[in-house]
Amino acid sequence: MRANVWSGRNTVQVENVPDPKILNERDAIVKITSTAICGSDLHLYDGYIPTMKKGDILGHEFMGEVVETGKGVSNLKEGDRVVVPFPIACGNCWACRHELFSVCENSNPNSGLAEKMFGHSTCGIFGYSHLTGGYAGGQAEYARVPFADVGPIKVEDDLTDEQVLFLSDIFPTGYMGAEFCEITGGECIAVFGAGPVGQFAIASAVMLGAERVIAIDHVDYRLEMARNKAGATDTINFDEDPDVVEQLKVLTGGRGPDAVIDAVGMESVSGHAPLQAIERVKQASRQETDRGAALRDAILACRPGGIVSVIGVYGGLMDKFPMGALMNKGLSIKTGQCHVHRYMKPLYEHVKQGHIDPSFVVTHRLDLGEAPNGFETFKHKQDECVKVVLKP
Amino acid sequence: MTENSTAGWPRPIDSILHGATDYTAGVTLTTVFPRLANIDGTSAARQIRIAGAIHAGYSTLTDYPLGVVKAIPYKAHLALDAIGALALAATPFVTGQFRRGRDQWVPHVALCAFELASLALSDPTGKGDYKADVEAVRRANMEDPARKVHERGLAVTPGAAATNGGAATAAVS
Amino acid sequence: MGSRTAITVNRPEDEIRRMWQDPAFRPEYIGEVDAAVTFRDAPGDRGTEIHVALPREAPRNKLGEVVQKVAGSASLAKVKDELYRFKQLVETGEVARSEGSPEGERAERKLKQRPAQPLKESELEKAGV
Repeated sequence: MRANVWSGRNTVQVENVPDPKILNERDAIVKITSTAICGSDLHLYDGYIPTMKKGDILGHEFMGEVVETGKGVSNLKEGDRVVVPFPIACGNCWACRHELFSVCENSNPNSGLAEKMFGHSTCGIFGYSHLTGGYAGGQAEYARVPFADVGPIKVEDDLTDEQVLFLSDIFPTGYMGAEFCEITGGECIAVFGAGPVGQFAIASAVMLGAERVIAIDHVDYRLEMARNKAGATDTINFDEDPDVVEQLKVLTGGRGPDAVIDAVGMESVSGHAPLQAIERVKQASRQETDRGAALRDAILACRPGGIVSVIGVYGGLMDKFPMGALMNKGLSIKTGQCHVHRYMKPLYEHVKQGHIDPSFVVTHRLDLGEAPNGFETFKHKQDECVKVVLKP
Repeated sequence: MTENSTAGWPRPIDSILHGATDYTAGVTLTTVFPRLANIDGTSAARQIRIAGAIHAGYSTLTDYPLGVVKAIPYKAHLALDAIGALALAATPFVTGQFRRGRDQWVPHVALCAFELASLALSDPTGKGDYKADVEAVRRANMEDPARKVHERGLAVTPGAAATNGGAATAAVS
Repeated sequence: MGSRTAITVNRPEDEIRRMWQDPAFRPEYIGEVDAAVTFRDAPGDRGTEIHVALPREAPRNKLGEVVQKVAGSASLAKVKDELYRFKQLVETGEVARSEGSPEGERAERKLKQRPAQPLKESELEKAGV
């Protein structure tokens, strides 16, 4: 089958690889009808995540049709249309039973590797380096889905692929980010990063009843989409004025946002070029692995007693983390890889009832063979690219 | 960090890293380098100080993220780097001072080699080369980005997930 | 340091003791190296803790200490692998396999992963599928 594989830094190639096979009884094989490129895939592309190997199939947002099931899968049958969550979760361990699916204790066969970096292992993830198990990803014609009796949800209606595909990752991720903010109605929420996850964080905050949702980015067309589609009430372009903390104060009457969402992660860009240069040099010389400009600003901007919700992906160690501001202002940090399984059915309901149309983020729909161009265009924000969907 | 597809080797230094190097090298050459290289007080030291000052000077006038007045195009800056490095290496031989000892020419040649190596590893397009063909992407795209970005019409119903029961009845337009 | 480890499996203690004796589940390596295995009730609803202590001979000199640390940590890694596989078998009914590590958690595999793409037919038997 054709699959998009990692071939070195800044290189992906569509190659012919063997078709997936059932390895365990609880596996299923899915024929993929739509798959997407995620912002976190760019960390793999840019070479910031260790343990990548040439030939690794990328992709963790995918959906399609069940074509084969192992003996242990009775909830799915051939022909079922399913959306697959990106964390692989067994459903049986203590973590899964407590709905902490993205820290499943049993799904990472390389837990020894992850333990070295994080102290403990977390769940396996499709197509996201050997730290998370070395599972083949979903930017391909077929994928093997472990624990298929737990993860995939059936989609049985007229909704298009693009209206449900994002239940696999970015919609639940954005929603969890907004849920972390404990919105009860009337809050001011600041969302750092207006990429696809940021767009869903904004839309979710709007759905949850926040009164003001401020989008922060330096790419104008993304801020425009945030205003036009996701429901952002205000936007800040930090290239025009790098002092985000001050601008957020003005927008919130001097109080600061009640909660801040970091939907940026480890490749953060600062509006101050010299600071950006210093961070880049440190990252290049591996004195730190994660750039923290957005998270720093988020912590400084958040109102005292507020919540810092971190859904941007980080990998290692960050320098100059404002621990003093965090502690003295009494902020709470809530973070994690999204526990997607928790949210898929409720969010699917919202889509079915017309409360949100997730396909709004899709700007590019390309054949799987165009994946390398898709990655480049997405990475360099060309052609007003926000989200790329690939069709195998 | 990028790989330049036309050179046969990786050129990971983008314009931000290159700028950081420009200023660091320029300041170091102008201030402490002569003392560290034990050539203080000689004509070699003076030449290196001037080279460092000039380098830092035109860096401030370059159109890249660390430039102050963005006047000189980045590629022109890289050309100046190369010319300056070669000129510095040639200076001791032109003036004849190379005969006065190794320390009157080796620093120049070493600095030239360092600069040329840094240029070989610098990506000339500066911000990281976009390797795809945007026209090809536009042709292959089955969606219209401009419409998705610029068309008005919220894709979400405010309050539809509010826990205080504020779910609106109006659906998405 | 380096000669004890523990894992928690969410089943009651008597069930764990029974499965530990069952040849279908019993970890081989832990039996071979004569390790001390104890079971303890985990707090709350967490199940049972399994503690394994590897036998240790006192090293005679500094070099001996280093060798023991290196060799000891190698065998501890194997013990951890087996405990993890036992937990997976008991809790999920199978050993987690990926394309990078098709045999499941194996210390040797940490150094030499397969690429994360499907196995060829010829590789399946070797991977124990």
